[in-house]
Amino acid sequence: MSHDTVLEARDLTKTFSSTDPPTRVLDGIDLTVREGEFLVVMGASGSGKSTLLYTVSGMDRPSGGTVTLRGRDLTALGDAETSRVRLHETGFVFQEAYFLRNLTVRDNVLLPALKAVPKEKAAAVARVDALLERFGIAHVAHHGITQVSGGQLQRASICRALACEPSVVFADEPTGALNSSMSAEVMDALTHVHAGGTTVVMVTHDPGCAARADRVVYLRDGGVVDTRVLGTWSPERAGAREDELLLWLRKLGF
Amino acid sequence: MSRSLAARYAAGDLRKNAGVDVALAVVLVLSAFLMATGAMVVERVFGSIDRLFEQAKPPHFLQMHVGEYDRAALESFAAEHPEIDAWVVEEMIGFDGAAVAWQRPGTQEAGDLADSLVDNLFVTQNAELDFLLDESGAVPRPSEGEVYVPVAYQQRFDLRVGDELEVTTDDGAVPLRVEGFVRDSQMASSLSPATRFLVSEADHAALEAGGGGAPEIIAEYRVTHQADLGGLQRAYQADPALPKNGEEVTYPMIRLINALSDGLVAVALMFASGVLVAIALLNLRFVIRGALEDEVREIGAMKAIGIRDAEISGLYLAKYRVMTALACVVGGGLAVAATTLLTRRMEVSYAAAPWELTTVLVPLGALALVYVVVVAICRGILRAVRKVEVVDALVHGSILGERQTARRARRQARRLRRGGLAAGRTGKVDVRLALADLRSDAGQWALVPVVFLLATLLVVLPTSLLNTLESPRFLTNMGMPRSDVLADLRFTDDVDGLRDDVLSDMAGDDRLTDVRAFAEVLYESPSEDGWATLRVDVGDHAGTIELLDGELPAAGQVALSTLNAQKFGVGPGDELTLRQDGATTTAVVSGVYQDITSGGDTAKMPATTPVADVTGAAGYAIHASTAPGADPAAVAAEYAERYPDAAVVPTEEYTRQTMATMTGALRNAAAASLAFGVGVALLITSLFLKLRLTRERRTRGILSAVGFSRREIVAQVRAKTLAAAALGTALGLLVAATAGELVVGGVMASANLGLARLDLVPDPWLVYLAYPLLLVSAAGLAAVALTARLRRADTSAWLRS
Ligand SMILES: Nc1ncnc2c1ncn2[C@@H]1O[C@H](COP(=O)(O)OP(=O)(O)O)[C@@H](O)[C@H]1O
Ligand SMILES: [Mg+2]
Repeated sequence: MSHDTVLEARDLTKTFSSTDPPTRVLDGIDLTVREGEFLVVMGASGSGKSTLLYTVSGMDRPSGGTVTLRGRDLTALGDAETSRVRLHETGFVFQEAYFLRNLTVRDNVLLPALKAVPKEKAAAVARVDALLERFGIAHVAHHGITQVSGGQLQRASICRALACEPSVVFADEPTGALNSSMSAEVMDALTHVHAGGTTVVMVTHDPGCAARADRVVYLRDGGVVDTRVLGTWSPERAGAREDELLLWLRKLGF
Repeated sequence: MSRSLAARYAAGDLRKNAGVDVALAVVLVLSAFLMATGAMVVERVFGSIDRLFEQAKPPHFLQMHVGEYDRAALESFAAEHPEIDAWVVEEMIGFDGAAVAWQRPGTQEAGDLADSLVDNLFVTQNAELDFLLDESGAVPRPSEGEVYVPVAYQQRFDLRVGDELEVTTDDGAVPLRVEGFVRDSQMASSLSPATRFLVSEADHAALEAGGGGAPEIIAEYRVTHQADLGGLQRAYQADPALPKNGEEVTYPMIRLINALSDGLVAVALMFASGVLVAIALLNLRFVIRGALEDEVREIGAMKAIGIRDAEISGLYLAKYRVMTALACVVGGGLAVAATTLLTRRMEVSYAAAPWELTTVLVPLGALALVYVVVVAICRGILRAVRKVEVVDALVHGSILGERQTARRARRQARRLRRGGLAAGRTGKVDVRLALADLRSDAGQWALVPVVFLLATLLVVLPTSLLNTLESPRFLTNMGMPRSDVLADLRFTDDVDGLRDDVLSDMAGDDRLTDVRAFAEVLYESPSEDGWATLRVDVGDHAGTIELLDGELPAAGQVALSTLNAQKFGVGPGDELTLRQDGATTTAVVSGVYQDITSGGDTAKMPATTPVADVTGAAGYAIHASTAPGADPAAVAAEYAERYPDAAVVPTEEYTRQTMATMTGALRNAAAASLAFGVGVALLITSLFLKLRLTRERRTRGILSAVGFSRREIVAQVRAKTLAAAALGTALGLLVAATAGELVVGGVMASANLGLARLDLVPDPWLVYLAYPLLLVSAAGLAAVALTARLRRADTSAWLRS
């Protein structure tokens, strides 16, 4: 593994045995993510994109293969250590707004921060308040989660993912449930995260969103079938990058 | 909507929620089971006693007496009263347990009855009334050398037919062979412990001639019409020639004591079933509301296409109807089996009750009641269907209408503002999170403490009642001074002389402290039925009785037991005329206390002269405490040996044995309540967690995703469960200590046994330590069992649900 690799999956498989016959969703995937990279995963619905994200982020256990995050093999870790990886090393943004309904927006974001450094509560609170400010949702911080818009919730979700300053942020179709203006809000936020030096791995269906990536991989039948390097994002070249991407995707049958 | 749709719906639903439905069904079955068993036991108890009474023909009125008596006076009394149907003077010879030894031929097994403080009275079979019955209900007439032993001893000393029994008289041993066991319909009724052995005329004569036994008699009467009983009793008491220095017992008391022992069991069972029905209903509410919340979109859709509310709730109701009906059938079947077991013991002491229409109707009625109540409550809970608004259901997935939603949102906002995760000084996030969940979902979590509160009452109250009845303090409450050693001096020619000897001996004994003597003086007072005997304990009563009303008697005053206050129609402040040897005086009633000793008819007066100077008393009771280190049993045994004419017993053991006839069955009921309580606690906690954990999947997924470990998530669930269970148990103990006393006391008082108030005397180790631990452990066990599988699940599987 080269020194600027942050995440590496080797011969990764995931089989769900709850179905009959068992479904092999990931079938020997190799994937390398560089430090500071913005990687987008694309593919048809049901091709295993979410499953890939869950297995490389320490949420689910793969059936076979290895996942190495900053030099540590996640598959060899126990429950407590894996949870610490999720807390300190990775952040996750879901398509749906997964929040605890009995906490305010701010408390939901604070939850991992307080969990990570129980002793330095004041610092955690300050950091979280700064995040809420930075992503423009400080004014709804004390609202219940049913009282804010979908775009605001996704931004809160990003704040929560960043609360412990992770090395990689995973996002599974973060704009999938949003209208286009809210989508733009969220993508701007993620681009902002990436610009700050954080590695981002995102699943999306939207070529417009995917155009923000440094690199796009395409998944089919549980394997990576093609890769496209786009280079560093700039707003001026947005249209050109999207066209280039669409062409590539059409060739792949997207 | 068609019946088949409802059936298909119910079947599908059953498959989906199998675990929950099974748990719910078990609680329903238990409720039905206990309800039916309670009803059946009550019916059987009274049936059994009726049957026993039919066969044994117990006296309607009896008078005990020790010493000389005028046989001719009894004959002429009987001749003058045609209302007498039958009468008998039963001659009994009493022996100490130590004088009765047994051995099993051909084995090394042997022993004696010394452990029993009960008087062992040897009698012959009566001709016309008060029969001792064998197991089959027949009237045995032993031949020479045969003896029939009380069933209580059969159980207690494990005696068998064929064992040899030897009674030691002054003249040597009288050998007897155990031929069978007999039931006694009246002996327990005075609450003075005595039991009867049946022997032949010849052996009876030999025991009498041998000496060493204490002869006493009972004059027993049966009347043709119960209405004549009062008059006959009055006439008996008014005739100075008739023997009457012992207790007088009437039919209602005989019946009551017989009914009470198993009646207590029935009451305990009814109480248990009441608690279980309550728990079942709480669960139904929880489960049904949960189902409505889970399926609100379907309900909204059904409403949207125009299906009527009644039809929608009918879908749900059908399932619970079937479930309850099945539970009643299964519970009823189990109840038949359980009743057979429970009443077997009862039938040994009494008689097999014949099966009648009521035997079937009573439990069926109880089951019907369970069904009707459960279904009615289900209907009530399902009214929530009517309130579901199509829009709220379809769009927000909420069973609440717009206005309710708004109200709830306001409440939630207030709560959110108040307790933030970062608020306050310290505290682990995990704990704050658990508290936040308990607070926001208090409505659901409340099920656990409420159920544990009820379960606590269920396990604690019967045990406390049992402990109360067996505690020495009980008899203090009930009119008997508290002491370690009790000497009863009564049936001897020179009772005053014996008193002086025992008192001076005890005063010089440094193992004994606080020796107090009470004289028993017989007066007569006017009652509704004419002059009646009033038995008065004279002495220093300070600290010996607890008054229900009024004060301890001062000079010229008398305190009465509740039964006597009723009998003579007086209360505190009233005057009571007392007659002794033709001279009348009056005394002011100072107070009323409860008493079940001596048939409940007692009175207390202060001593005007030292008890040591009293003459003409019918008897004396001397109470003494033992100095630290002295064994009351040993001291009592020593005095009993030194004074053969005095009955000296260790008070505590005596109390226990006196109450044993009543408490034996209650002990079983208390054990059953404990098992049910803990079982139900386990079951309900499991059911609750099963449902709760299913609904909390999403929350678990979120916690796991942001960095909580499986272990921490599981620990939170367990801690919340334990906290809720512990809270409920603590509240239960609180309620048991306050309201429980009122409830149990009320039930006991309604039995009209001279018991107006009952102070529960719980065993602190059991009630405040062992049982709470057991209940909370049950919650812990359920929590561990149900959360064990959570360790392995994938985070995404939780989130995607
Ligand atoms: N827990 C599970 N059990 C069984 N099958 C699953 C499970 N999770 C996902 N799958 C299956 O795996 C395949 C890939 O799912 P997913 O990773 O969500 O696809 P994508 O995100 O690319 O749409 C789908 O066919 C889905 O049905
Ligand atoms: Mg997906």
